[in-house]
Amino acid sequence: MESLFLQQTLNGLIIGSIYSLIAIGLTMIFGVMKISNFAHGDFAMVGAYTAVFLMAWLPGWMGWVGSVIAAAAVVGILGIVTERLIFRPLLGRWTDIDIIMVSIGLFILLENLAQLFFGATPQMISDPFRGATLGVGGVSTSMLRLFCLGFSCTAIAALQIFLNRSKLGIAIRATSQNRFAAQLMGVDINLIYTLTFWVGAALAGVGGVLYGTTFAVHPLMGAMPTLKAFVVTILGGMGNLRGAIFGGFILGVAESLGGNYLAMEYQHAIGFFIIISVLLLRPRGLFGTREGT
Amino acid sequence: MSRQVRHLLGTVAVIAALLILPRVIQERYFLHVVVMAGIYSIMTMSWNLLAGYSGQLNLGHAAFFGIGAYTSALVAMKLGVSPWFGLLGGGVIAGFFGFLLGFPSLRLSGPYLAITTIGFAEILRLVAVNWVDLTRGSLGLSGIPLLTPIRVGGLKLEFYFERDYYYVVLAAVLFTYFCMRRFTDSEFGVSLQALRDDEQGAQSIGIHTSQYKLAVFTLSAFFAGIAGGLFAHFARLVSPDTMSLHVTFDTLTMTMIGGLGTTAGPILGAVLLSLLSEWLRTLEDFFKMDIRLVLYGILLILTIRFMHGGLVGVFQGLKERFSGYGRTRNGGADHG
Repeated sequence: MESLFLQQTLNGLIIGSIYSLIAIGLTMIFGVMKISNFAHGDFAMVGAYTAVFLMAWLPGWMGWVGSVIAAAAVVGILGIVTERLIFRPLLGRWTDIDIIMVSIGLFILLENLAQLFFGATPQMISDPFRGATLGVGGVSTSMLRLFCLGFSCTAIAALQIFLNRSKLGIAIRATSQNRFAAQLMGVDINLIYTLTFWVGAALAGVGGVLYGTTFAVHPLMGAMPTLKAFVVTILGGMGNLRGAIFGGFILGVAESLGGNYLAMEYQHAIGFFIIISVLLLRPRGLFGTREGT
Repeated sequence: MSRQVRHLLGTVAVIAALLILPRVIQERYFLHVVVMAGIYSIMTMSWNLLAGYSGQLNLGHAAFFGIGAYTSALVAMKLGVSPWFGLLGGGVIAGFFGFLLGFPSLRLSGPYLAITTIGFAEILRLVAVNWVDLTRGSLGLSGIPLLTPIRVGGLKLEFYFERDYYYVVLAAVLFTYFCMRRFTDSEFGVSLQALRDDEQGAQSIGIHTSQYKLAVFTLSAFFAGIAGGLFAHFARLVSPDTMSLHVTFDTLTMTMIGGLGTTAGPILGAVLLSLLSEWLRTLEDFFKMDIRLVLYGILLILTIRFMHGGLVGVFQGLKERFSGYGRTRNGGADHG
């Protein structure tokens, strides 16, 4: 009984770390540019496909590490291109509703382009550990999933250091808090926008590789990470980085435990139950501040 | 000829043309496409009332469609009541759920409301998948009865073919259209637009924004439920997919391309995109692939970027340019 609980908690933490990684990109982009990007999960999908193709060509460890780098690069470029061509021209001109709808257009476009080019059959990202598992006292998990957990935690920590220590990171946070004041302090807002979108998209791409490693890769997979990332982001307060990190782990564990103890078939609805209750009781999210919304 | 007479003649001509359409083009497949376009028109018009006129971004609209479809199908199948009754019942139940979904909208807006409404639809979709005793799960309900014949005086109207359903759906589309006209031209509609453009401003001049939001969610959901019921008795198969995000996204794309916040735009968008999709299907052999949805995505992005009032906005712009004057009905082109 106890080991089942620990097992489910561990599974939840693993999935949660991936949710966090994907959600951080979403919340950064929202914080800095006030863009709610519904195509964010499709950035993850593109990242996952990058890994599928690279690993078919270069299997094993080299391939896996290469995939993460390639996914960050490919999706990062995709992010910059979409920011420049699709989102930037709309900023300041139209409402957030229009921006949501344009991102839905991008969502439909990416999803169906993927279906055209990659086919509808689900694919797997091969396991560099060759299916090895690790078990300690009744709790066991695959090396791969454990590695995913470690990897995403490292990535999150690295991002935190970048945002807190580097000059550019501080500029991003400043823009997120108050873009006019940041501009007055000499921050090049347009550069920050591009940079934020690039980092946010690249994180989604890396998250996509991890997500695709844990689940299957198929053209319609993007909807799930998009919705999960929004749930996490709202849970933590939109634009709140620390909120997104905690929110991801909370959602992962809640889904895992809820799916096990309450109802497996409603596992994917648990997040929605949580945010609907959170929004009704605390519209700014669990970690939200007045300014964050 | 005065403006009003011309307007009346135009309306009569359009309705007459719509009435004889199935006599002119008798191909059943074409009529099938037109009936589906009509059902989608009701969806787009009802969604437009929420998103276009009241600024409430509801991304769970498919849920109302699904509720209408399931209710209507189940009432006819399990209770053995006339499908016409079920059709209305579907609308009423959907309206009730719309009323409930209106409550979050009192406190939330923008992305928060969007996600809550998606969550609402996803939860209902999962209920439809998992409540197998009632809904037969992912298999969906099949063998839904046809609409029963109705007698008008000595005339017996039966509903077997696409042609027959064409008239039912046409009646429903016209009814919805005139209701929407009534809503939007009335004080109710003006208040909704005030609420959309400046919620606090609307409150300050004495508009009860909460009551209006609940009312508009209920009304919008009612019509979407009717659309769902019509779909159930026409397609005779209802699956949880009727509640999927993609139904909402199709509705949204059609409305945006036709013209958000206009009365004619939603119908125009639904009909044009349905016909365009079918035409593209015939080109599938040429492209060797199905590019319909790719085009939906591209058109949606381009519409918001370059043609913000949709097709209706473009027509109005042209009309104003050439006539030199023109009462500007808000083409959705500058709403906030």
